[in-house]
Amino acid sequence: MQKFFSSRKLVIVIVCLIISFGLMTVSVAIRNKRSTPTLIQQFGNDIVGFADRIVAVPMNGVQHGFVSVKNLLNTYQENQQLKSKVDQLAQTQVKDQALQRENKQLKRQLNVGNTLTGYEKINAAVITRTPSSWASQIVINKGQAAGVKKDMPVVAGPGLIGTVAEVNKTNSKVVLISNTAENSNRFAIQIVGANSKVVNGIITSYDSQANRIIMGNITSTAKLTKGDRVTTSGLGGVIPKGIYVGTVAKIAEDDYGLAKKVYIKPAANLNDIEIVSVAVRE
Amino acid sequence: MKRRIPIAMIFVIGQLIAFFLDGSISQILSGILFKYPNTMVPYLTVMWLVLAVFFGNAKKLHLGIWAAVIGFVFDMYYTGILGVYVFIFPLVVYLCQVIYQMLPPSFMSGFLVYFLGITVLVTLGFVANAFIGQAQASVSEFLVNTLAPTLALNLVLLAISYFPIEALYRSHRR
Repeated sequence: MQKFFSSRKLVIVIVCLIISFGLMTVSVAIRNKRSTPTLIQQFGNDIVGFADRIVAVPMNGVQHGFVSVKNLLNTYQENQQLKSKVDQLAQTQVKDQALQRENKQLKRQLNVGNTLTGYEKINAAVITRTPSSWASQIVINKGQAAGVKKDMPVVAGPGLIGTVAEVNKTNSKVVLISNTAENSNRFAIQIVGANSKVVNGIITSYDSQANRIIMGNITSTAKLTKGDRVTTSGLGGVIPKGIYVGTVAKIAEDDYGLAKKVYIKPAANLNDIEIVSVAVRE
Repeated sequence: MKRRIPIAMIFVIGQLIAFFLDGSISQILSGILFKYPNTMVPYLTVMWLVLAVFFGNAKKLHLGIWAAVIGFVFDMYYTGILGVYVFIFPLVVYLCQVIYQMLPPSFMSGFLVYFLGITVLVTLGFVANAFIGQAQASVSEFLVNTLAPTLALNLVLLAISYFPIEALYRSHRR
């Protein structure tokens, strides 16, 4: 014990602790405020990102192999289900096209430029995931050079999965909506209820037990039903309008019985993400 | 005659591969590893360091410095919060070194030392993340849902790779 806590070692430990807390505080502050990390950090991350591809690409290839075999086994059943949906889809698509054209014409007539709904997608592949219990975070292979900016929403498959938290030159970190930390989960979303009444709100937390996004503090009296679709509302910041988030799963009173709490079933599977798109508002 | 690759070089390359494998495994098996309520995190990076403590020459390989360097890269690239693993990795390496010297060199003592090392690593990681508001689990939740599964996973990984890596170092000692 004498050897463990000699005064020299104690000083080293204390100095290390102070540096550690200092660095942690600074990096959290940078993460919350500035749009990009410091130049050295960015540079390092880019180099590590490049090296990571050497390992990540073959590993992802192996996974692809397994997934394809699994898909092959499910194909027949899936085919049956999809066939029934195809007719519906074609109809919706045609209608969508017609509406889009009409919308464009109307906008031109009214002299309205881009509205909140317009967005473009930057497609990116997932390189790796943070090996940590606390940060639900993935690293994607597009960064500043491709036009990604901090706080942009990220979509995978059917719906929203998270936001860009840190941008480097050629890769960026995406915090998933399943992250329960206080400084994430602030999306402006809306639900169109019965009689096309719109309920606006923000994502306040995430229930990891049931895999539900929670939209809290709703005082609106509009009637919501299970299965109503939830999209981003485009209010505040860089998130465009009309990105699909999920469907209403449950409506409950909040702890004090004053406001409502809506549980939303996310559309995207947060534990199986390979390709994502970053939505950029036009 | 074949030229032998120096063990220091093998160590560094293996270190980098282990580092990237951590992320790749977390990504590919995320459905299994992070399934609610348990979270299992692979720490191959630390395993490689600790195995080097067991079999290699800690002084010649500059293990403490490498642990700090790889910890810094880990913070920067994976979590984005500096100053956590850059200190925890060298501490774990140092602790493992001190304890391992007291024990007879065998698989069981290696297993025990690694058990302690991972416990220290995960616990300090939890404390640091709780301090900055990332981790919000209570201590009992942490013990049951994070520490225990992570220990289980990492000890299995150690048991798998202990003997091959021992053979690797032994072939280079001659």
